[in-house]
Amino acid sequence: MSKIQHDRTHHAKMATGVGDPQCFKGKAGKPKFKIGDRVSVKDLPDIFYTRTMVYTRGAVGEVVELVYESPPAEDESWDNTDKSEWFYSVVFKQNDLWPEYSDEFSNDSLETELSERWLESA
Amino acid sequence: MSDHDHSHKPAPMVDEVSDFEILEMAVRELAIDKGLFSQEDHRVWTEYVHTLGPVPAARLVAKAWLDPEYKKLAAADGVEASKAVGVDWVTSPPTQFGTPSDYCNLRVLEDTPKLKHVVVCSLCSCYPRPILGQSPEWYRTPNYRRRLVRWPRQVLSEFGLQLPPEVEVRVADSNQKTRYIVMPVRPEGTEGWTEDQLTEIVTRDCLIGVAVPKPGITSNAKRPIRKAIHPVQHDHDH
Amino acid sequence: MSTSDSDVNSKGDYQAIDTTPISLLQTVLEHGRVWEDLAAQYGVTNPDPPWKITLEATCDLLAGDSCVKSYKEVVPGSCALPSLERRADEDDLADTIYEDVPFPERQLMALAHTMIKRGLIEEGELKCRMLQVEQRLNSG
Repeated sequence: MSKIQHDRTHHAKMATGVGDPQCFKGKAGKPKFKIGDRVSVKDLPDIFYTRTMVYTRGAVGEVVELVYESPPAEDESWDNTDKSEWFYSVVFKQNDLWPEYSDEFSNDSLETELSERWLESA
Repeated sequence: MSDHDHSHKPAPMVDEVSDFEILEMAVRELAIDKGLFSQEDHRVWTEYVHTLGPVPAARLVAKAWLDPEYKKLAAADGVEASKAVGVDWVTSPPTQFGTPSDYCNLRVLEDTPKLKHVVVCSLCSCYPRPILGQSPEWYRTPNYRRRLVRWPRQVLSEFGLQLPPEVEVRVADSNQKTRYIVMPVRPEGTEGWTEDQLTEIVTRDCLIGVAVPKPGITSNAKRPIRKAIHPVQHDHDH
Repeated sequence: MSTSDSDVNSKGDYQAIDTTPISLLQTVLEHGRVWEDLAAQYGVTNPDPPWKITLEATCDLLAGDSCVKSYKEVVPGSCALPSLERRADEDDLADTIYEDVPFPERQLMALAHTMIKRGLIEEGELKCRMLQVEQRLNSG
């Protein structure tokens, strides 16, 4: 195999001058979650191209932003960019992510982005 | 090509060709010969990458410190705010639709006295290059990427930054299309400063979040590269 | 560190990089002078070698020639080496056989190693091209 087929960057961009993820605006439809919602991260079957880190699986966090619409990374790598999803910025408490995280720092948090397919109401 | 002279002024080039220089060129030429990319595309892209550095991001923060309305814009719409410092995330790169790896969604994370942000890309070291330039070595290491998400305070203390327990340390893991810079709290002792003076103390490390700006400190500290002793295993059940 | 512990999930379709040393690259490591040493010897203050950015550009372009082309010109599937894979390989190599190599040289070694092991270039042709480049650079 001389070229690896999977690639996140090749999909039909809507227009020069628009940018990515701006080019997918309006394509995901109604977002399932809103700012302030408590969500948990599903533990979907893994593929290499997932951008949902293992350390978030099963954790519960709070939606702080609806950041953009885009085909999810898992689909983009297979050049399957017909369906866009809403992407959410979710904040987790560190002591919900890591069992040994010190109680002394109970305010500490971690923010990261997840696409809608990875989230369910908590 | 070398303007090496015999005074004590350091020359920008060395007179010796190293095997590494040869290897880099050979790899690139072979890739071009095989059609993996074109020489012209490589030239255009290299020229663009050469233009990138941390000053625009520093200036964005300085402007925000001086102008409350701009600060609100920066926190709400980083892409729009970037334009004021000469960076158009969409049209500055050669493609005219952003770069494929940096995308077009800058978010400016606003620190407060109770909230300190620090940025990482645990998966691969994504970085807001169009406004901040190339990432430093330490940012790319598994040591930083795997440890910051799980032991942020330990990692920050290795960078010389200790924060009280009541301050919320928030790690931003840029795992998707958003790229982050941190807007630190404006430090004491900068009253009456100009935008240029403020820009000078917002170093790249401040914009990543591993340092805080201080009057008189205008460069990044040298970082020892430490091997991870307890790296995170990406399985939070353990 | 085994690949099952690596950041990028190794289940499914990713083949971890073969970290067996490649003799051509071992030769480079044995004889090559790293920038740290060259800069010190010649009193050069640039922290990076002149080829660092061209190397970065090569990595970017291998990950997608949409770096410079407008979208209409991009040929779908023409990405040779996606960045997630290249970085996963680089992490494994940096942890093992290139552990002691300073930074930009390490990135370069990892790239060459990945390209050879993943079949993008061959060791033999790289060796030939290096000889040609060396002659060209040392004769000019």
